[in-house]
Amino acid sequence: MKHKTRRTLNFWALFSAPALWWGTVLLVPYLIMLSISFYSRQFPFHVPDFQFGNYAILLQDSQYYDVLMRSLWISLSVSLSAFVLSYPLAYFLAFKVRSERMRLFLYTATIVPLWVSYLLRAYTWKTILGSEGILNSFLMWTGVISEPSTIFLYNQGAMIVTMAYIFTPFMVMPIYASLEKIPVSLIEASKDLGAPRFMTFLKITLPLSMPGVLAGFTFTFGLSIGDFISPILVGGPYSNMIANVVATQFGMAMNWPLGSALGVVLLFIVLGVITASDKLERVGRLNMG
Amino acid sequence: MKTIGSKLGTAVAAAALAVTGFAGAAHAEGELNLLTWEGYTDESFVSVFEEQSGCKVTPTYVGSNDEFPAKLAGGGGVYDLVSPSVDTTTILMKAGLVEEIDVSRLENWDQVFPQFSSHSGVNHDGGVYGVPYTWGAIPFMYRADSFDEAPTSIAQFWEDESLNGKISLWDDKTNIYVVARMIYGNDVNVYDLSDDQLAAVRDKLIELKPAIRKYWSTAGELVNLYANGEVTISNTWGGYQSALLADEGIEMIEFIPVENADGWADAWQIVKGSPNTDCAYEWLNFSLSPEGQCGVVGITGYSGSNPEALGTCKTDEEMMMLHMDDFGYLDSLVLWQEPARVDAYINTWNAVKAAQ
Repeated sequence: MKHKTRRTLNFWALFSAPALWWGTVLLVPYLIMLSISFYSRQFPFHVPDFQFGNYAILLQDSQYYDVLMRSLWISLSVSLSAFVLSYPLAYFLAFKVRSERMRLFLYTATIVPLWVSYLLRAYTWKTILGSEGILNSFLMWTGVISEPSTIFLYNQGAMIVTMAYIFTPFMVMPIYASLEKIPVSLIEASKDLGAPRFMTFLKITLPLSMPGVLAGFTFTFGLSIGDFISPILVGGPYSNMIANVVATQFGMAMNWPLGSALGVVLLFIVLGVITASDKLERVGRLNMG
Repeated sequence: MKTIGSKLGTAVAAAALAVTGFAGAAHAEGELNLLTWEGYTDESFVSVFEEQSGCKVTPTYVGSNDEFPAKLAGGGGVYDLVSPSVDTTTILMKAGLVEEIDVSRLENWDQVFPQFSSHSGVNHDGGVYGVPYTWGAIPFMYRADSFDEAPTSIAQFWEDESLNGKISLWDDKTNIYVVARMIYGNDVNVYDLSDDQLAAVRDKLIELKPAIRKYWSTAGELVNLYANGEVTISNTWGGYQSALLADEGIEMIEFIPVENADGWADAWQIVKGSPNTDCAYEWLNFSLSPEGQCGVVGITGYSGSNPEALGTCKTDEEMMMLHMDDFGYLDSLVLWQEPARVDAYINTWNAVKAAQ
């Protein structure tokens, strides 16, 4: 008995702080958001209520559907771009760099931008992509174009480039971690049995790195669908994202119930993505036997 | 006029001061946290106020009127004074977020332009809830070197293909007003549009989207859009951004289109529950005094609410340029007020921004 009591005490000594943290800054706020999403808007604020009117507005007014679809499409594009950029980089780091010191240097170089403010990095892209920016100056210098092009900045493309750059470290880190764990013996066995390099990659390396890819995808997708800075900085008239609409509802509109309903929808989308990636990972594990 | 660079320098210095503030505040009697617009608490005249009153000022800047109700409703307990425009002051009064002002404590209250002191934006239930500070128009402006012929009407935005991708509009619901006047004539009551009228305005603004380069949200952002050659025409906070651009060597011409322009006025309000009301009243008095009025008008290029105070530092000609000598100009503008159905207006502007 005494032993058990001590274990219980130890358990709470260790976990009461995280439990308190989890409860007060995550669980309780989510519950508050959920309950406000059922409140009624009443100028200038809202009154407690239990009704589904706010969700009905989201379904009836096509502006919310448009913004939601745009947010999904942009987050998906960001995740795919980040994946295409990150996988070769992570592969190179894990398998091609022989020197340990070099690997550490390159890995640090990849993640060091995370220590620079998000705003600063997004602003930098403005100076690169703008009408009188670095890219336009370069293209004019080389003679590819004769006058500055406006197609690089203030549109969805600029947002995808900026976010893909900013969120790439979140894709590289998990992919690198999973590639690094693959036993070299498996790859050697495949080669010994006569499989060509590409076949070895497709059958051994890629499947074994899928958990990392899925984790990276989940991170980048979740981060970009909730982003509201890049639409303001590098987006144009067609760049409003779901998070911008949420911000407006909590701003001038002071329509917290509608803003909360949007927040709940966004939360469930991200939860859905996490669940799907978790399921996919399990399927992958079974296939590997 | 200061350049953006030196303004940034001031901001950094102010931030540094805010961090180390206590060391220098030995004789301070109190503190004031102000939620306000760029230029309204410039060091050049705030230092005079701090010297006189012993109250230390710490400003936080907003980019649009949206942020006042949002910050206060979200439990903005740290702010003592806010300076929204008179279409937003009403929201704060009705929501009970600001306190009634005892005008007997204001020395120069009687000198304020009556259009402002009697405006529905500062009067509520027989009490006064705001002290008018500055005012101006929301004209349009264009780059002098980009136009052979001066534009006169915003209808050209829809018709003139050479403006394609060169237009910027303020990211604000007030765009509805000028477009409503374009469609329905200048006599329409833009603060009480019907659902059909709002829908027509919305469709017109959506139709313009391909020609828009960017919706601007802060003074600095619009200045950068012009300075980087991204846009050539936009609406503007009259007098302010054009002067900042002139400092960068870009000549801007402001104009009031045939669709007329909105007029705005900003007023100081005391946040409910502010523990620093003595300092707050010191600031309200200062804001209507010659030092306060001359200070803010000198920095922003806006007009002031107290003609008598401004007359102490401006020549007759300067007073005329600022339209401080005639009520006619002020009356000709469509002075902002809270729309009858503010939710519908916000929803209309959101629908414009959301549209594909």
